[in-house]
Amino acid sequence: MADAKWGMVIDVDKCTGCQACVVACQSENNVPINTEDIFNQRRAIEWIRVERYWEGEFPDVKARFIPVLCQHCDDAPCEPVCPVFATYHNNEGMNVQIYNRCIGTRFCANNCPYHVRYFNFWEPEWPDTLTHQLNPDVTVRSRGIMEKCTFCVQRIRRTSREADRDGREIEDGARELSPACVNSCPTSALVWGDFNNKNSKVSNLAEKEMSHNGSHHGRGYKMMENLGTSPNVIYLKKIDKHAKETVAHE
Amino acid sequence: MGGSATAVAAAACGVPEKELLVQAPLEMPEDLVTGLDNWYATIDRQNRNGIGIVVRVMEGRAKKIEGNVDYPVNVGKHNAIADAGVQSLYHPDRISAPLVRTGERGEGNWEEISWTDAVSRIASRLEGVSGEELVLVTSPIGGHMGSVVNSFTDAFGSTHLQYEPLERTVLQASIKNVFGQDVMPDFDIENAAYVLSFGADFLNGWVSPVRFGRGYGDFRHAEGRERGTFTHIESRLSMTAANADDWIYVKPGYEGVLALSMAKVIIDEGLGDDAAVASLTQNGTNDLSQFDPSNVSAVSGVPAQRIREIAHEFATKRPAVAIGGGSAAAHTNGLFNLNAVHSLNYLVGNVNKKGGVIFNPMPPIGLPVGSRSSSFQQMSTLSDRMANREVKALFVREADPFYGMPSSSEVRKASFGVDLIVSFSGQFDDTTAMADIVLPEHNYLEDWGTDVPDPGPGYQVVGFQQPVVRPFFENRGGHLGTKNFGDVLITLGEILSNPLSLPGDDVKTFKDVVEQGARSLYGLNRGSVKSDDFRSFWQGVLQRGGWWDTGARYDGPSPTPPALPVSPQEPISGSGEFALVPFESAGLSDGRTSDLPWLQALPDPISTAVWHTWVEINNKKAEEMDIREGDVVEVTSPRGSIKALAYPHPGISPDAVAVPIGGGHLGGGRYSKERGSNVFSILEPLTDDKTGALAWGATRVSLRKTGDWVRLSKFENTKPDISEDTHRKIIPLTNG
Amino acid sequence: MIPGDFQIRKPSRIQVLILGILGIGGLVGAVVGLVLGAFVITAWLGLPLDVFGLNEGPEQPIAFPHTTHVKSLGMDCTFCHRNVTVGAAASVPAVGLCMTCHKTIGDGNEEISKLRDYHSSGLPINWVRVHRVPDHVNFIHEPHIRHFGEKYGGPAGTCQLCHGDVGRMVKVKQVRSLKMGDCVDCHKANDAPTDCTTCHY
Repeated sequence: MADAKWGMVIDVDKCTGCQACVVACQSENNVPINTEDIFNQRRAIEWIRVERYWEGEFPDVKARFIPVLCQHCDDAPCEPVCPVFATYHNNEGMNVQIYNRCIGTRFCANNCPYHVRYFNFWEPEWPDTLTHQLNPDVTVRSRGIMEKCTFCVQRIRRTSREADRDGREIEDGARELSPACVNSCPTSALVWGDFNNKNSKVSNLAEKEMSHNGSHHGRGYKMMENLGTSPNVIYLKKIDKHAKETVAHE
Repeated sequence: MGGSATAVAAAACGVPEKELLVQAPLEMPEDLVTGLDNWYATIDRQNRNGIGIVVRVMEGRAKKIEGNVDYPVNVGKHNAIADAGVQSLYHPDRISAPLVRTGERGEGNWEEISWTDAVSRIASRLEGVSGEELVLVTSPIGGHMGSVVNSFTDAFGSTHLQYEPLERTVLQASIKNVFGQDVMPDFDIENAAYVLSFGADFLNGWVSPVRFGRGYGDFRHAEGRERGTFTHIESRLSMTAANADDWIYVKPGYEGVLALSMAKVIIDEGLGDDAAVASLTQNGTNDLSQFDPSNVSAVSGVPAQRIREIAHEFATKRPAVAIGGGSAAAHTNGLFNLNAVHSLNYLVGNVNKKGGVIFNPMPPIGLPVGSRSSSFQQMSTLSDRMANREVKALFVREADPFYGMPSSSEVRKASFGVDLIVSFSGQFDDTTAMADIVLPEHNYLEDWGTDVPDPGPGYQVVGFQQPVVRPFFENRGGHLGTKNFGDVLITLGEILSNPLSLPGDDVKTFKDVVEQGARSLYGLNRGSVKSDDFRSFWQGVLQRGGWWDTGARYDGPSPTPPALPVSPQEPISGSGEFALVPFESAGLSDGRTSDLPWLQALPDPISTAVWHTWVEINNKKAEEMDIREGDVVEVTSPRGSIKALAYPHPGISPDAVAVPIGGGHLGGGRYSKERGSNVFSILEPLTDDKTGALAWGATRVSLRKTGDWVRLSKFENTKPDISEDTHRKIIPLTNG
Repeated sequence: MIPGDFQIRKPSRIQVLILGILGIGGLVGAVVGLVLGAFVITAWLGLPLDVFGLNEGPEQPIAFPHTTHVKSLGMDCTFCHRNVTVGAAASVPAVGLCMTCHKTIGDGNEEISKLRDYHSSGLPINWVRVHRVPDHVNFIHEPHIRHFGEKYGGPAGTCQLCHGDVGRMVKVKQVRSLKMGDCVDCHKANDAPTDCTTCHY
């Protein structure tokens, strides 16, 4: 899988804000339970979160949703500031976080324009019985460690290993390979795959939606692209028939 | 120095002692390979409409739930509530053995007893209790558990009430009135070009959100179709409303006249199907003139021009579908509202057509469907009977009426008139707290069962539920731990020499009933699983999570459109400055999932609030009343008051306030006990006059600041730099 | 004597005594510290010094002799550790598996009667873990066995690479440090991936 370049395409026009991805992620990745206190301290951890933005006043009011997760930027601002190389870009196009290297300076979170890095201010705690649910493939992060979306790398590792063992090919968009959020999304607003595979769903979507020629205007944009982070997550614009065309970066 | 080197190393690095213990199991199941995962197909019971799930099991423990790709209802998709099911399995406050009350009722003093003891105590106390004096209250149950319960009530002559707080009585009555159907039809959002929804929060909690959500994804963007248009009419900006192209505010309870006004526009402009128009208006004798948009505009609060526009769009963008439910049904004129809304479908000729309302066939092998709820009126009658000492024994399973019934029905007090209350809950919910004997049921991930989805996908489906893990409390021995509900009913029948009629002589347990059901399906020799012998059929069914036959569709007569309900009914509501709109938040459903920490911590889509009960109020109105976010506000109805934290936002009308359902449990485990306030408790006991359903949207309230302030826990602004999107940099828009 | 000239003042006896004790004490302390340090560091590496029986494997609830089973009887490692060719953990066999032979074999042996007691009481055997990697390391046996198996003729030959000749060990002990450097060296030598997320996630 060394040649892959994993990425995601998120259709904001399909996202209903239902939060299925949030629980799917927490369940797969042993994210600590966000208690009331943790929310009040503004230290809640949601590797993928759904943001809600208001526009207008009653009755002409809109609430719009957008899922935000680690953008796995090619030029990630979080990477150069880590003094211990705990975060770096691997050869699969992913921005990865190595827990055992992390010393908790929080420089990376400070430098991330998307605010998708979460710091463990507290030791994660579960009642004894709930620990039975914890995913053995994912490290439980202790206090003082930075964590963030991994594109469910444990699934990539497990699936490619088992495919190697059984001598089979993995199809594009296979559920066993896909991150938990992508599998859960009821409207299929999240699509995940390999940008290096020219026939993959994400490649096709990127090609179609990021291009502008003639009358065709793709809906694709990258969040806060003007910062030069070159994210590996492509968003597709929300369609609002009352809206005047706006661009992602002005 | 007896300590070994590894122990030294362990001590040096602070490795917990128990990590050094590797347990060799006594017997290893054949398929257990440590470090490898198995995915077992079963049925989700957390959502009200069962969806097919697969559960990842490692070393005998359930780890993760995902949608079952094969299952026709949800095709691989699931939602937050389904995902959190593993937490209900491993909930730290689950009841692990039968309990008998030792102190006064409701005091919370319990003693563990064995199953044999518990069942025989119940049996001895049931002696001399007549059929009418034994009442069974369950959540709506279908499939084989439904048939076992039916044979129990037949054997004992007892009453069976199927209770859920947000009942579907009005919806089902409307489907029967308008379409003549006994089972819910499927609304084919996926293939519709235009969706017009009145109050139905179908993406969030209404009826079958995962199925509708999946359809909605394709409705917006799919290969070979244009983007559909969606207009939502509701008194609150719900999550579904937020996703609509247009959200139209309507005064609560006036959805019906609004729909009739649209019908009038369509008929007047000649846009409707002629045959349907003739039938709906009784060949023109039905006078619709009073529903002229200019008249309706005044009462409903929707401008006349908008009514005409929407009617026009609905009639011309075909296939179009009109859906009514949720808050539109929760008024004293609920049935009128829904009948008017659903009649719109005839005008655009989409009944039993692709992209419209698709009828479902009756389930195979005579299985009951799982959504027949009893009305609030029936529950109130039960409460009165309990108070009058006419009920001697009350069995409660999966339902929590002591939480969901308005406090005015005084069901808690009435419970003191009942001699024996038996709860089958695995959790100390509000009803179980008042029980005499608790017989904890298996969690659904440890249990057998079948499910008939309602609505189905347009053809016959029977979902199969199998235990994906061994019962968690198995280690407590056979006399303690949990058991299957059906098995307990069968045992009770045997002990009281009133045996249940089960399908077949060698059928002894509930699992046998399920297997016998599979045998009947095998006998049909059609559908998704075909094989030469029953064993491989059985395995095929369990492997794929169910049986379905895409060929077995509705083949009954096409219904004749009934006359439009032209005598309008004004919604009746109490007094108070604000209309109270209770609503389902993303995670807590109707309060049944409040015990799960993931769902308590799940931000509400609109307010992003968590762990609390809040009251949504219009931001301008709040400014006028000097209410800020986090102010503790007393919400008072004529039936009582609750406290909630204010959350002002622009998505609600100045004359309404909205309070989420799911807070204020008296019990239910550490994560829900005494957390927030129960909005059900202040509802007025108004009912829909035709069906007797609770008009939970008809209460009016007043607000009062208490002067206290509590920080409202919410996800919004957790990341402060991107709190606003004024220049649409985060969510840019395009108009096509 | 020139004024201001440096004079050595003779220390008193008591001072000599104190300084002497301090000096010797310090020396002894340094030696003890060094020795203890050596013990701790080598223990941390999983390879304790070969003194005082420190490098012996731990005492197990049943003194299971690998020597008998592997060396004398010639059983393959995968007969008991059967997950090693498919999954992450090599897995300790279930008591039921032992009993397939020991129902009939080994009457009168004290250790085997312990085993039978476990079996009849229904309790699992709490083996003491010998090889352990931290929680943030995802070590998977299967690909290692697959890779080396071709070279060394099946799993049995491969196990030795990391676990040593268990067949000759009375008490099983760790023979390699199994620290990250050890892993990475081997990965580099065998052209295996060295990306952090190969093992850490």
